[in-house]
Amino acid sequence: MSALDQLFLIAAVTAVVPMVIGNTRFGGWVMTLLYAGQAAVVFEMRAVSYGGETISATPNFVVLGQQIHWAYDALSWFFALTTVGSALFASWYASGEWGRRYREDGYNLRLFHTAMAANVFSMLVLLGSNDLLSVFMGWELVSWASFLLMAARGGAAIRPALRYVVYAMGGAMALMMGLAILYVETGSLQLGAIMAAAPGFSNGLVWLLAMSFGVGFGVKMGLVPFHLWQAPAYAETAAPGSCFFGAITARMGLFGIILILVKLVGVAHMAETGIPWVQFSARDLLAWVAALTIIIPTYTALRQHDARLLLMWHGVGQGGYMLLGLMVGSALGSAGGLLHIFNYATNQLILLMAVFAVIHRTGTADLNKLGGLLVRMPISFVVLLVGIIGLAGLPPMNGFVSKWMVYRALIADGSPLLFLAAIIGTLGTILSVYKLIHNIFLGQLRAEHEQIREVPWSMSIPMMLAAAVVFFTGYFPGVALDWVAAVQASVGLPVIAHTLGGVPLPNGGLNMIAVVSVLLFGFAVGAVIFFLLGGRSVRVHQLDNYAGGHFLTAATRYQYSNIFYPGLFRLLAPVYRNTFVWLEAGLVSVVDLASMGARGLCRSRHPAFYILLGFVLTLAWVIK
Amino acid sequence: MDWKVLLVDLVLMPLVAFAVGLVMVLMLRKVNARIQRRIGPPFFQPLYDILKLFGKQTQISHGVIHDIAIVMLLGGFIASETLLPVPGMDGLAKQGDLLVLIYLLMVPTLGMALGVGQCANPNGSIGISRALTSMLAYDIPLMVVVVGVAWHYGTTSLPEIIALQQQAGVSGWGVTSMPLLAVAGIVSIHMMLGKEPFEVYVAPAEIATGPMVEISGKYLGGLFVTQCFQLYTAGVLFTTLFLGGGENWLSFLVKIFAVLFVPIAITVVFPRFKVEEGVAWGWKWPTTIGLVGLALVFF
Repeated sequence: MSALDQLFLIAAVTAVVPMVIGNTRFGGWVMTLLYAGQAAVVFEMRAVSYGGETISATPNFVVLGQQIHWAYDALSWFFALTTVGSALFASWYASGEWGRRYREDGYNLRLFHTAMAANVFSMLVLLGSNDLLSVFMGWELVSWASFLLMAARGGAAIRPALRYVVYAMGGAMALMMGLAILYVETGSLQLGAIMAAAPGFSNGLVWLLAMSFGVGFGVKMGLVPFHLWQAPAYAETAAPGSCFFGAITARMGLFGIILILVKLVGVAHMAETGIPWVQFSARDLLAWVAALTIIIPTYTALRQHDARLLLMWHGVGQGGYMLLGLMVGSALGSAGGLLHIFNYATNQLILLMAVFAVIHRTGTADLNKLGGLLVRMPISFVVLLVGIIGLAGLPPMNGFVSKWMVYRALIADGSPLLFLAAIIGTLGTILSVYKLIHNIFLGQLRAEHEQIREVPWSMSIPMMLAAAVVFFTGYFPGVALDWVAAVQASVGLPVIAHTLGGVPLPNGGLNMIAVVSVLLFGFAVGAVIFFLLGGRSVRVHQLDNYAGGHFLTAATRYQYSNIFYPGLFRLLAPVYRNTFVWLEAGLVSVVDLASMGARGLCRSRHPAFYILLGFVLTLAWVIK
Repeated sequence: MDWKVLLVDLVLMPLVAFAVGLVMVLMLRKVNARIQRRIGPPFFQPLYDILKLFGKQTQISHGVIHDIAIVMLLGGFIASETLLPVPGMDGLAKQGDLLVLIYLLMVPTLGMALGVGQCANPNGSIGISRALTSMLAYDIPLMVVVVGVAWHYGTTSLPEIIALQQQAGVSGWGVTSMPLLAVAGIVSIHMMLGKEPFEVYVAPAEIATGPMVEISGKYLGGLFVTQCFQLYTAGVLFTTLFLGGGENWLSFLVKIFAVLFVPIAITVVFPRFKVEEGVAWGWKWPTTIGLVGLALVFF
């Protein structure tokens, strides 16, 4: 029994166990132990990421005379690590008080645990795909498991979940088309055989593949213009499920793109498909889609006043950095894109856990109804702070390293406009995450939140541990860069030369150990200057404040929160035109009209006659 | 790298920055005074101000983050100064490039924003909202400049950018080979300093000095020290990118003071823009000039 067999087995067991004990008091803890077991097996398989052999699973069957089986290489391992890690933290978070409250509120905890484990299992299966058929099977499993988890909470979660299903089906059609094209062209289902044939693909074929797989997998990633479904669907999911979705699920789309477009077709091959005269290649198309995916969702996030939606919109936008880095295709750029998958997952995980901690205590995610919680929930504040620094991509957190690599690669590649697009996204992120932390934790504490306490240890320990990962993989990015380099080698990209501290380049590199150390040194000096010199400071009450001659009382709302950046929005108002929402609504109307037509036909006096007539005419046309 | 040299650099570089920055603050106030036909403050006035603020008896704190904000402000700038090469000292400039420096300079901004947020005064929060919006105005042209400069020199390492310019002489300085980018650079650096006409986020008559509304005593003293660092960083950054850095300390000081004189001279005679006017202006003029300059560098 190989390690991969063990992983699949334990993941399957994890999905079955909660059907029995999911509703019990210790159910959540058992689940967490099972995820820890999965993590242990993934750790046992680590050799695959340090030059070891690919690990195969035993189950297999034969279709069209070709063997279908599953195996893990460095790429699968990297994604599996992130997936199982996210699930472990999310499940731990759900184990104690959160799960108890969820059950008391009348939700089905058994369904939640089962759905979550089904997601992990299906994703692990997808990651082991070795041929076109298992890619499609894994893909559909992931899609339906996602729907199950989204809809598990019922109520407001149902509509966005159904919207997701429509998008996912559209994506699956495009994916099916791409897979069919590949099979017809090469006569093989095996990825290895297709890869061998790929250098002979014509330009037209590469364009066709880039389009069909770009749409198929792009829907899951929320690439523009398929970005509308993701944020509401993920935000309405039950808290730990939402954390898990936000961290990793959407990246399955990126996994698909890496597997098919990067590994099989190759970035260099896509870059050679320039249309004559304009020199615009399939790679350029995907890079620009990625750039738009950075900008549009980020500036949509800036307008949100629900903390969950704000973060989820950023999640869509951050996917753009990953794809953009990969499409640069150089060792530095693709390493930045890949590293950002891991870094972003850790960031988003702690951000969402902190936000859901606030919701757990206050019952609201409305950024206009919170404020000043820092003094009541200091641990959640620190975790959120680490998360926003990481998400905004500032030193010393890990998000900075991956974004720096993408920026640096875009400069070296000579793509100033894509570089600027990435920068514009980052600036928007900084504005937006400051609003997030300000409106929740800073400013005035509301009278109704005076008695609030920090969340219990069952929730705050996983938050703090994950935040520590964000810091340490920023301090020592070489740990994760080892895995990334192995992924690059396994998918045929140039491999990044790196050290424990970062990327040494002759013309401007990065050593995070030095940068973070000097930052800590600066903080230490600053602390000495501030705390040891000068008089002692006196702590005052929040209402002991300048108010232009008025007295402040607890009844005075003294918090600035609504429309946080009015000047910017006055300037940008003409740009926000809801074009994509309008397009989606238009599409829905067209489908509605068609269905009305079909209904009208069925209600006519002789529906059978018309259907028969249509059938005969079609048959005549086909035969002719 | 020899650790003794490094240690000396780590201590000296921020100290030099602070000392030079004090003189720059003095220059700002002197120029302002002379234009208003006043004499202006004596030489050591900036230092006296800091000592006075730190020595005040009443020090009002609005909470832990309010305190930590000042630590982050000072710490972020102290760290940044070690990435900014000066004659004879490279510090950590080989460990982190231009992009690292620019992002490291955002750490103090974030610290300030957090601290002001905890003060729970809407005037302060409005000030931060305006300051971050202004950041969107100047960082886009600044990044246009960064990508142009990096492409032109083929490196983002600051010591290398300096070395390349000094080898080529004045004709190889950024300001002669990329004049449009230099214009965009000086304008965005001026906007970054947050002086008139881009000081809408302090706007004393309107939002009661904005971020500084609840800040006094040694907190304000910390801000004062930060201003020294900020002026110094602005001058050195432009000198490094466009004026060949410093061949020796004399030419270095002449260059950074000359650079800083441009925004100061503009500042003292201008009223202020509204925040959206500032952003629109930043995206219209320096960005356009920068993009034209960028096109010239690339083609």
